Amino acid sequence: MSAPEVVRVSAPTPPSSPAPSVTTPPALSLTGVTKSFGPVHALRGVSLQLGRGEVLGLIGENGAGKSTLLKVLSGVHEPDSGALEVNGKPVRLRSPEDAARAGVGIVHQEQSLLTNLSVAENIAMTSGSRAKAATRFGVYRWGHLNRVAAQVLARIGVDVDPRTTVGDLSFVDRQMVEIARALQVDTGAHASPVLILDEPTSLLERDETAVLEREIRSLREIGSVVFVSHRLDEVMRICDRVVVMRHGEVVGDRRTSEVTEDELFRLMVGRDSRATPRERRSREDGGTAVLQVEGLTRGHAFRDVSFSVPAGTTTAIVGTNGSGREEVVRAVFGAEPFSSGALRVAGKDVGSWSVASAVRAGVAYIPSERRVEGMVGGLSAAENLVLTHPGEAKKGPLLRPRARRKVAETWFEDLDVRPRQPDLALERFSGGNQQKVVLAKWLSSPDLKVLVLDHPLRGLDPGASETVNAQIRAACARGTAVVLLPDTLEEALELGDEIIVMRDGEVTARFDTSRETPTALDLLEKMV
Amino acid sequence: MSTTTPATTPAAPAPAPSATGRARRGLPPGLWQAAGPAAVFVVLFAVTAALQPAILSGVGPINLTTQATAVLLVALGQAAVLHVGSIDLSNAAAAVLGAMVLALALGPLAAAAPLVTLLVMALVGAVNGLLVAFTQVPSFALTLGTLGVLQAASLVVSDNTTVYASANGEVVSWLFIQAFAGLPVAFWFAVVVAVLFWLVLRRTSLGQALTAVGLNETAAVFSGLRTRWLKVAAFSFSGVMAGAAGICIISQAGAASSFGLGSDLLLPGIAAALIGGTAITGGRTNPVGVVFGALTVALIPITATALGVTPQARSLVYGVVVIAAVALTASRARGAVVK
Amino acid sequence: MTGLTTVTDVLTPAPPTTGARRVRRGHGRLRSSGEVIALLVLLLVFTLLNPGTFATLTNARTVLDQAALPLVVGVGATLVILMGSIDLSVEGVMGAAGMTFVLLSANSRGGESHGALALVAALAVGLLIGLLTALIHTRLRVPTFIASLGVWYIGLGVATLLYGTEGIPNFSDPATANWASRLLLGLPHSFWLAAAVVVLGLLVGRYTRLGRSAYALGADERIARDNGVRAARTKVLVFVVAGGCSALAGVLASLQLGAGSVTLGAGTLFLTIAAVVIGGTSLGGGRGGVARTALGVLLLTVLNNGLILSGVSPNIQSAVSGAVLIGAIVAAAWPHRSRLRVVK
Repeated sequence: MSAPEVVRVSAPTPPSSPAPSVTTPPALSLTGVTKSFGPVHALRGVSLQLGRGEVLGLIGENGAGKSTLLKVLSGVHEPDSGALEVNGKPVRLRSPEDAARAGVGIVHQEQSLLTNLSVAENIAMTSGSRAKAATRFGVYRWGHLNRVAAQVLARIGVDVDPRTTVGDLSFVDRQMVEIARALQVDTGAHASPVLILDEPTSLLERDETAVLEREIRSLREIGSVVFVSHRLDEVMRICDRVVVMRHGEVVGDRRTSEVTEDELFRLMVGRDSRATPRERRSREDGGTAVLQVEGLTRGHAFRDVSFSVPAGTTTAIVGTNGSGREEVVRAVFGAEPFSSGALRVAGKDVGSWSVASAVRAGVAYIPSERRVEGMVGGLSAAENLVLTHPGEAKKGPLLRPRARRKVAETWFEDLDVRPRQPDLALERFSGGNQQKVVLAKWLSSPDLKVLVLDHPLRGLDPGASETVNAQIRAACARGTAVVLLPDTLEEALELGDEIIVMRDGEVTARFDTSRETPTALDLLEKMV
Repeated sequence: MSTTTPATTPAAPAPAPSATGRARRGLPPGLWQAAGPAAVFVVLFAVTAALQPAILSGVGPINLTTQATAVLLVALGQAAVLHVGSIDLSNAAAAVLGAMVLALALGPLAAAAPLVTLLVMALVGAVNGLLVAFTQVPSFALTLGTLGVLQAASLVVSDNTTVYASANGEVVSWLFIQAFAGLPVAFWFAVVVAVLFWLVLRRTSLGQALTAVGLNETAAVFSGLRTRWLKVAAFSFSGVMAGAAGICIISQAGAASSFGLGSDLLLPGIAAALIGGTAITGGRTNPVGVVFGALTVALIPITATALGVTPQARSLVYGVVVIAAVALTASRARGAVVK
Repeated sequence: MTGLTTVTDVLTPAPPTTGARRVRRGHGRLRSSGEVIALLVLLLVFTLLNPGTFATLTNARTVLDQAALPLVVGVGATLVILMGSIDLSVEGVMGAAGMTFVLLSANSRGGESHGALALVAALAVGLLIGLLTALIHTRLRVPTFIASLGVWYIGLGVATLLYGTEGIPNFSDPATANWASRLLLGLPHSFWLAAAVVVLGLLVGRYTRLGRSAYALGADERIARDNGVRAARTKVLVFVVAGGCSALAGVLASLQLGAGSVTLGAGTLFLTIAAVVIGGTSLGGGRGGVARTALGVLLLTVLNNGLILSGVSPNIQSAVSGAVLIGAIVAAAWPHRSRLRVVK
């Protein structure tokens, strides 16, 4: 696709920003912020500062605590302890409205625009008083509305007609509208707003991000920015400083001019690659490939993807958002179609099949969206467990509740699911225990040939993660072919017999871990 | 296209939710769902009996159950469709058409006629289900369209008048003449169907699968369930029940028309299903509760009369009771957006 | 049904626009030309089939007169559906309001004309009943499907109570009675009334905060609320407006009938919702509008009119509407089919 033409209003920014002067207070200051959710310590004593007119990058692996930090900054969660100051004033952000009033605006990853309304309306809607000013006797003063919107957009040099329906805009333009909207939070001319951008580029194609990068750099003239991204090259280009988080703590705080990407990677991942003690299965040992993917293609989502997984081995597929790996594995499970290529399970060509037939062929899938796709929350844990492969729990058309209970109890013991109440509705269990039940559901397949796991450890506490990992290894040992989409590169390095790297829909690298020992650096290079 | 948003930030592990899903009245939802409709009926019946003891004896119960039977059958079919998360607006029109088909078929086919009727109406239901499941259109709009088609079919078949069961009426008329434990056999048949439906839902894998579809269709798909055929099954059942209601119409009146007995079963059927505790969002249905829902719906006019409410205000009472009953018995997830 | 038509793959993102960033689309441009083409085709076909009777001024007046009622109801129904709700109480309100109007006008029961008060009272009845539905929904958290279902009965009950036990109240003043069919600039009053309501509806939908809030709620109630849309207030106002539309329709219907009748609204709900859906307004809310519904109404009215003129039995009218409805929704849904799509 061609790059959109850019009509810019403001001048390009100088490459380095002035150091924040001693007299102006920092735009944002956190001291010792902690936040826990039950046993999970999401933030442990986080301290950082954002200077006036600075663009600060925030990086870290999934589970490092970035999203919790953002939620604290935007008023969604209140910290358990620690101090928060905006523009030198201590604040308590109890709600998103408080955050907006304090001058902190956030643009989320998921768009929060109403796509069936115009840009001007979306901009007007952010505050009651603004919306009131836009109407007279309930009728929108369109002239006023459009003028205000045009001003707001011009503030950051966005050239979009405010009358356009949001649904007609490109992703980039929508992001720009969201940014412009978020910058409205502070109407006072004197103070300077803080803008948080949560992975604004994750859904963009490469050439579109150049536009966004320019815009973000130019925002320095108006306020200060916290920029969260997985794409380290972008972070290095756009940001003045980078804060690296890991396990809920800040492990690095560097100026981008004084650090290399390698060092950032190392900080993010924790340590260099180490020789993992696990016995590596050589891929030849595995025998014939249980799963064969050849030239799988679907439009822009994934192109000519090929790999094979022998029995008893684990293939980890890594990549950032938009890499296409999720779509590929879902296609393997029959949940998404593909336009060309071949898919073979146990030697049989299955074509573009459905979930039901994939399940019958012995393929299992643990989805990343557990609540929506993985479990029927209203049913009990036991019922969920036997939903796909009832086995003992069913005799003919009839259910056998006692047998079902026994099966569930056995699994509960093996996986240490708490509370030990299999007849409790699954939605009432904690995330980690829910995932164990979902896993059990698939592990109880009589003939499990391929086990696909999509971010299986997402949101799990360390205990549950251990259990799940152990089960994956056990399944492998039993001869199942495992395809894993890990949350962290560590997982990939630890569990993967083969590691496949994808970027923008294509396979960019393959590593056979029985013959080579890639480091996290090696993987990341190919991912971004 | 994938329906899930690509999220890389993991959700913070949700703390185990405390007792969620408490009904507004403070009772655990499961209990209320089982006992609620029965309680509503019993209270209403008690009130009516207190005002007019005559209904307790003689033809009172017979009248009540006679009027409740067709409603119950339609409501059970509706409950099945609601259970998978859809709605069938055409089942009442199907009942009328079914009655006409029966009336016309009794002559030539005698004892086979009711079976043929049920089969034909099952087919009608299956068409509804196939269209909803395989073309992925909203069931409200689709069955609205089917409703129009069936209504017109009835008008054409009956040529805008009444169709009489010319011969062999005794094949079905006994259903409301024969009594068991003082109540018409037809009513007991309907109750048996309700109990069987209950058993299927609670004790068979088919029922479990239907429930999964109603509670979370996406997860049901991902669990390898054949959700589309399950929906077709639900709609087909609704068709069969409509046919059964049609049999009742002929049995009671010996004739069928677009404006006579049984021509307005749609809303009472829906009301009965909802009062019976069926969740409108799907996945929570108690067919035995629907029995009480149907009895309640049939009882409302009688209660109104007993209360001295003028016949003119009957509709009003009906509406108020339906709203109140559903407001009490509906199970609502906390925080969910109610549309 | 609206409460159940949740499509989980709602908003597929627009492809990036190449070049022109100054994207501008007029608000009211009819996006789907499908319905317009269908209408034109129908007009053409029926003119050819019935040269003498279809394309005449008299018939045009008949069509517009017939379209008036569903147009008026359609405006209110559209706003409700855009919001993501549904209003099943239409026929009940029509009955109650119509009865109020007749009884407060000069009628055969001896009642005397209260002039404009009759109209005001009828409208008030509609507004109040709409308010009732909205409050049941917002306060008791009862889905609009059930709330409006119950209110339908309540409306019929009110109408029946007003009707009482005497004879049918006919309009005794011919000037009132035939107001609907009298001509103004060559077209019946009923049409002008409907046109005025449609225009008002268009304006509300496009230019007022109420209308835009309704669209917002329909698109995504959670995001709308997060953006400051006052959900309860919007819902109440929209239902009140819809009640007013139904009341007006009831008045019109009673004029067209020449008398007061409890069931004078029979069949309106089916026709109106069919028209809304055929016109392209999504039952899930957030997409569509009054203009589209008007188009849908015209389509169905012309279709029915043409069929009758062509000698087709009136019995199959509802089949035709039903078949068109089914065809329209299947055609609309077909391109979006996907194995994971959940439509209830």
